[in-house]
Amino acid sequence: MKNKINLYIIEYAINSLLSQKYKTFFVTSVLTALVFLLSSLFFITNSIKYELNSTLEALPEITVQKIKAGRHYDIDISVVDEILEITGVESAIARVWGYYYFENAGVNFSIIGLDEYEEQYKNSFVKVAKELDFSKPSMIVGVGVKKIMDKNYYKEYFNFIKPNGTLKKVDITGVFSGDTELESNDVIVMSNESVREIFDMDKSKATDIVVRVANHNEISTIASKIKLLYPDSRVVTKDDLKISYQNIFDYKSGIFLALFVISLFTFFIIIYDKASGLSSEQKREIGILKAIGWRVDDVLREKFYEGFIVSFFSYMLGIIVALAFVYILKAPLLQNIFTGYSQLKTSFNLPFVLDVQTLALIFFLSVPIYIAAIIIPSWRSATLEADEVIR
Amino acid sequence: MKVILILMMALFLGLSSVSAQEFTKSATVKPELVQQGEQKEWCPVCGMSIGMFYKTSHTSKIHNHQERQYCSMRCLAVDMQEHKIDVNDIKVVDSSTQKLIEAKSAFYVVGSDVAGTMSKVSKLAFADKEAAEDFNMEHGGKVVDFTVALKMAQDSLASDVAMVESKKSKQIYPMGQKIFEKNCKKEIDINAYLQINELKAGLKNKKLCGELKESELQPLSLYMWEVKRFGDVKNSDDVIKVTKDEKCPVCGMFVYKYPKWAAQIFYKESHFSFDGVKDMMKYYFEHKDGISKILASDYYSQKAIDATKAFYVIGSDIYGPMGNEPIPFMNENEAKTFSLDHKGQKILKFGEMTKEDIRKLDE
Repeated sequence: MKNKINLYIIEYAINSLLSQKYKTFFVTSVLTALVFLLSSLFFITNSIKYELNSTLEALPEITVQKIKAGRHYDIDISVVDEILEITGVESAIARVWGYYYFENAGVNFSIIGLDEYEEQYKNSFVKVAKELDFSKPSMIVGVGVKKIMDKNYYKEYFNFIKPNGTLKKVDITGVFSGDTELESNDVIVMSNESVREIFDMDKSKATDIVVRVANHNEISTIASKIKLLYPDSRVVTKDDLKISYQNIFDYKSGIFLALFVISLFTFFIIIYDKASGLSSEQKREIGILKAIGWRVDDVLREKFYEGFIVSFFSYMLGIIVALAFVYILKAPLLQNIFTGYSQLKTSFNLPFVLDVQTLALIFFLSVPIYIAAIIIPSWRSATLEADEVIR
Repeated sequence: MKVILILMMALFLGLSSVSAQEFTKSATVKPELVQQGEQKEWCPVCGMSIGMFYKTSHTSKIHNHQERQYCSMRCLAVDMQEHKIDVNDIKVVDSSTQKLIEAKSAFYVVGSDVAGTMSKVSKLAFADKEAAEDFNMEHGGKVVDFTVALKMAQDSLASDVAMVESKKSKQIYPMGQKIFEKNCKKEIDINAYLQINELKAGLKNKKLCGELKESELQPLSLYMWEVKRFGDVKNSDDVIKVTKDEKCPVCGMFVYKYPKWAAQIFYKESHFSFDGVKDMMKYYFEHKDGISKILASDYYSQKAIDATKAFYVIGSDIYGPMGNEPIPFMNENEAKTFSLDHKGQKILKFGEMTKEDIRKLDE
């Protein structure tokens, strides 16, 4: 029956906490703030990582661009036929897309062309291709684009200005939301022909070519074959893209790490301060308890309950506040560290990702350490003779 | 100063005159179409528009009277395998005058910088030797006579067919299928048509699938003619499915972790999954009786293929979960390409693999 929870001791622990209201309040709020800061940082990084990864997953294995004088240039569609001949290539699709600068709002739209019957290079486009009306100039726009167009009184259609200054009227037939906000917010999808007209692009040209490869082992072999066939091309594989995205992300995480280290450091200083000694009042309390017959393990148990209640309460509160802060309030202030990590102007809706590992990490960084910081000095005083402590 | 100016002028004029004469294979005048009926706009072999590839177009007669017009010498070569065609009947479009001339006496420019029609090498005919040589100067290649050009077309036929075939299966058939499913609501009796160009004319003129552009009509008719007519696309999309509890009976590893390499042997009532062809073969040599089918994963497409008909590359620099593996391919050409790319030592068929071959892989 030794391990049974002693309700009297818990009651004592709660009363002891309540009797030192200000101190308890102070400790709880510091701990809560710490957990809140750490967990909201982790939540934001996790969400962004998830968003980046899903954007990357949706990317084709190989992208082929034509480079002329160091700049990206339109590529011949006939290149597709040559690429299809390479063994191991599952499909190759010429993409027609580009950025359209909408001056009134000062934003860039990404205009993406689709072919009705071609294989779609992104899963999210399959549904869009079905909804899009290819028989007349029409488009399906992302949520962010819709908002901006509404603001400028383009509710049913939009006038694109072609390179020669004339207008191209395209009807808005739907709003589309992709898998994640980052890739779909500024997107406009329409037929290849319309995109070609808006950008004045020749029929035999495309912006770039995306290649699907069934066996991922073969990506590098196929990429090098394409490079050999077309020395003037830039062949970007998924891994290259992953690395460059990761680089931008890592740079931003550096700032995170700095914050993380500072807050941890502060926490440990507080802990060290606590652990280095007890006030004479607290020592006396332990002494009295021992004098009236408490055993050492009773004292330790009481202190454990005390520490556990405070730290666990702070932990839960910190996590809940962080969840609300990040996912309901969209992390004001902290978010600014990350916005603008791509040239696209996108709103910043973080996808909800709850990672058990992160929660566990924060738990073990706060709760056991705080409990240890309470128990160790108490144990030191509790092992002394009662008269020695009270004296 | 003057000299530079004149030079620049000359350069500018020279450049503009070149760009003004950019060569196109399409007809720039009204094309001469010799076939009868509504289908005369299209090649009877491949269904492509003759007007669009007019300058590589050839004509012939089959059964001594019925005139046929092809998009290119490649289709002529295909048709020559099937029908008896008298060389004297063959005519070709003169690329400069755009009139039909006797092929026998024409001069062909082969291998110029003009892209070939359904072939890697273009073959353009000229009645006039000088015109051919002029063209040759400007666009490269060499001037040959009809017999040499035809021989080239026949020799490269196999590789040209393979080239077009891969494009068709990877791009055109799926596209045609989509067009078919979306637009062709009515039953269409494909067997009522004798040739692909008749089908195409029927589709276009009777509007069986609604109003379609040439760029949609071609994939649709190819799909209907070459796939749909022989039943539908074989559903070969399936990859080998392995449940999470299946272990390789030879090495004891979980197979689901290595889906790229999965192979299976089916017996009447049970089946075993292997994490590679090597282990599958080890098992196969010991338990040959009562096998109903054997599957392997094609290295390139990752699809499930009949292992007994596959080709295996041995000794490459690609390793599976159990190290060196015989790597399965559905198609011999793909096996050869892989072997070149990855330093394969030999290509074997299923029946040719011996216990010794498999044992050596583990060394």
